[in-house]
Amino acid sequence: MTTPPIVELYGVTKSFGAFTVLNDIDLKIADGEILTLLGPSGCGKTTLMRIVAGFEQSTHGRVLLRGVDVSNQPPERRPVNMVFQRYALFPHLDVFDNVAFGLRLKKKSKSEIKKTVTHMLELVQLGEYANRWITELSGGQAQRVALARALVNEPSVLLLDEPLAALDLKIRHHMLAELKRIHVETGTTFIYVTHDQDEATILSDRIVLMNKGAIEQIGTPEEMYARPQSLFCAKFLGETNILSGSVISAEGDTTYVDIGAGAAKVAMNGVPVGSQVSLAVRPEAIRLDKVREVAGKENFNFVDGVIQDVVFMGSRVVYNIRTPINLIKYQETRPVHGISLERGDEVRASWAADAAVLLTH
Amino acid sequence: MLRAYIWIYVAFLYAPMAIITLFSFHSSPSLTFPFEGFSLRWYEKIFSDANFMHSLWNSVIVGAAAAAVTTVLGSLAALGLARMKGKTKAVFGLLAFAPVGLPGLFLGISLVILYAQIGLPRSLFTIVIAHVLFTIPFFIETMRSRVEYFDLGLEEAARDLGAGPLRTFWLVTLPIIAPTIAGAAILAFALSFDEFIITVFVSGNETTLPLLIWSMMRRAVSPDINAASVLSLSLSIGLILIGGLIVWYQRRKAIGSRA
Ligand SMILES: Nc1ncnc2c1ncn2[C@@H]1O[C@H](COP(=O)(O)OP(=O)(O)OP(=O)(O)O)[C@@H](O)[C@H]1O
Ligand SMILES: [Mg+2]
Repeated sequence: MTTPPIVELYGVTKSFGAFTVLNDIDLKIADGEILTLLGPSGCGKTTLMRIVAGFEQSTHGRVLLRGVDVSNQPPERRPVNMVFQRYALFPHLDVFDNVAFGLRLKKKSKSEIKKTVTHMLELVQLGEYANRWITELSGGQAQRVALARALVNEPSVLLLDEPLAALDLKIRHHMLAELKRIHVETGTTFIYVTHDQDEATILSDRIVLMNKGAIEQIGTPEEMYARPQSLFCAKFLGETNILSGSVISAEGDTTYVDIGAGAAKVAMNGVPVGSQVSLAVRPEAIRLDKVREVAGKENFNFVDGVIQDVVFMGSRVVYNIRTPINLIKYQETRPVHGISLERGDEVRASWAADAAVLLTH
Repeated sequence: MLRAYIWIYVAFLYAPMAIITLFSFHSSPSLTFPFEGFSLRWYEKIFSDANFMHSLWNSVIVGAAAAAVTTVLGSLAALGLARMKGKTKAVFGLLAFAPVGLPGLFLGISLVILYAQIGLPRSLFTIVIAHVLFTIPFFIETMRSRVEYFDLGLEEAARDLGAGPLRTFWLVTLPIIAPTIAGAAILAFALSFDEFIITVFVSGNETTLPLLIWSMMRRAVSPDINAASVLSLSLSIGLILIGGLIVWYQRRKAIGSRA
C-alpha cells in the first residue's frame, strides 16, 4: 500500500452479552479500493460494518478514519455513509429531497444543492425521477436513490450492506456493473458486504473472508481462488475437489501425500511427515483421459473412476466422476467438436503438481 | 336463525339512537308517535341556551387540553416502548394499557381523594388531569399499532447522513408518524368529550356537555335533550370515524411498505 490507509481497525472485538460476534479484527483499507467483506450468514459482516459507521460500539479495539480515532464519535460525525440493505429511504420525501437530505444538514446553498443533487441523480441514471415519490420506485430505482443519497455527501468511505440482496438476478448483474462504473467515476472507497462469492469476485479489489467473527483470509479475488490458505476458504470460493490424506514424505519443495488412491505430489513444503492434510484441486485444473489410453503412464496425482453424469452448462461442461475415494468434479469449456466422454466411461482424473493446494486446516 | 338474531341485535342497538335523532327534529314537544313534522326549533333552543353553550365550550376546552397533553406524553411513551425489547417491553406495554380495565368510578374516587390531599380545588384543570389519565392508555395503544411498524433503519439513515438525535426526530420520525399522532389525538378528544363518570367526581362546580345532558334528564325528558344528545353523539361519532380512519390507513401503509 503506497497511500496511507483510509480505514484502520485494531483489535476490534464485539460481544453481545456473553456472545462474541467479532473477535480481534485487524484490518487496513486502502484509499479508493473496493473491499468486500465476504462470509457465511451470521459471521459478523454487518456488525463490523456498523462499527465502522458508528451504529455499534466495539467492546474492545479502535477504529481510525483517515488516521483519526473515531471510536467514540456518533454516526453523524463520521465521514462515512451507508447504503442500507433495505434502502431506508425516507417515505415522506421525494427522490430529490431524499438525496438532498445530507447536503441540507450541511447548510449548503440552495443553488449548490440543486446542482449537486441533479448531477448525482444523473450519475445513477435517475435524472428524470427527481420529483417521484419513494413509493413509486422499483427495487432497482430505490437502490440507486439510496446510493445517490449516500454518495452525494462525498464520504471518505461508502459502506454497502448487501445492497443487491433484494434485487432479482438480472438487475443484480446490471447493478454490479453500475456500481463498478460509479466507483471509477467517484473514486470513493467502497466497503461492500455480501455473502455471494460471485458478487465478491466480480466487484472487489480485495476480499476479506470472514468466518465465525474472525478474518479467515485477505487477498485479491484471484489469490483467494488460486491459493486458499484453509479448507474453509477453498470451499467458500468457487467449487473445488477436496482429497484428504496424510503426508508420507517431503523432498525439497515437494511434498508427497497418500490420498488413499495412490500418492499425490504437491509443489509445497513445510508440512511435517504424518500430518493429516487436504488437497484442494479446482475442477478446471483437472485433466480427464480414458483409462485405457493412459494406463501405466503416471505414478502420481491421479484417481481412476467412472463418469457418473455429464452436466452441460452452456459455455462449460461439468463431469462428476465417482472414484473410490471421493466424488470428483472436472470442468472444461464446451468442446467445440462435441463432448466425447459420456456416462459410464472409465476415466483417469489427473492434475499437475502445482495445481493442487496443500491445506493443513 | 342467527341471521335474524343479528338483525334484532342491530335494531336493538341502534333503534334508540334513531328515535332520539328523529325526535330531535320534531316540530312539536311530543316525544311519542305520530310524528308531526320536521323543524329545527329544538336546536335553535339549545343554541340560544347559555347553559348549553357554556358546557359545550367547557367540553371543547377540556377535550382540547386533555388531547394536547395526552398527545405529547403518549407519543413519547409509545416511541419509548417501540425501542424496548423482550420482557421489559411486554411489562411496560401491559402497565401502560392496564388502566383501560379500571372502572371509572375507581379512578374518579381516587382522584378526588388525591386532589383533596394536595389541596387542589376542583375545576376545569382537575377535569383535564383526570381526562389525560383516562385517555392516555388508549392513545398509547393506538400509537403502538403504527409505531411497532416504524423502520428504525430510517432513523439510522438520518444519523448516517449527519443529523443528530434531535434533528433526526424532527426531520424524520415526527413527520412520518405525524398523521397517526393526529388521528390518535382526535380519538383522545372524542373520548374526553364523551367522558362522564370520572368527570362527575372531579368537576366541582363546572359542567361539561355530558354532565349538562344528565342534569337536564333529571329535571324532565324534553325534546331539547334530544337535540343536545344528537349533537354530542354526531360530534363524537364523526371524530372517532375520522381519527380511526387516519390511524387505520397509516398503519396499513406502514405494513405495506414493510413487505
Ligand atoms: N443486537 C444484537 N444483539 C445480539 N446479537 C446480535 C445483535 N446483532 C447481531 N447479533 C448476532 O451477531 C452475529 C453476527 O451478526 P451479523 O448481522 O453481523 O451477521 P452477518 O455476517 O451480517 O450475517 P448475514 O449474512 O446473515 O447478514 C449473529 O449471530 C447475530 O445473531
Ligand atoms: Mg448482515
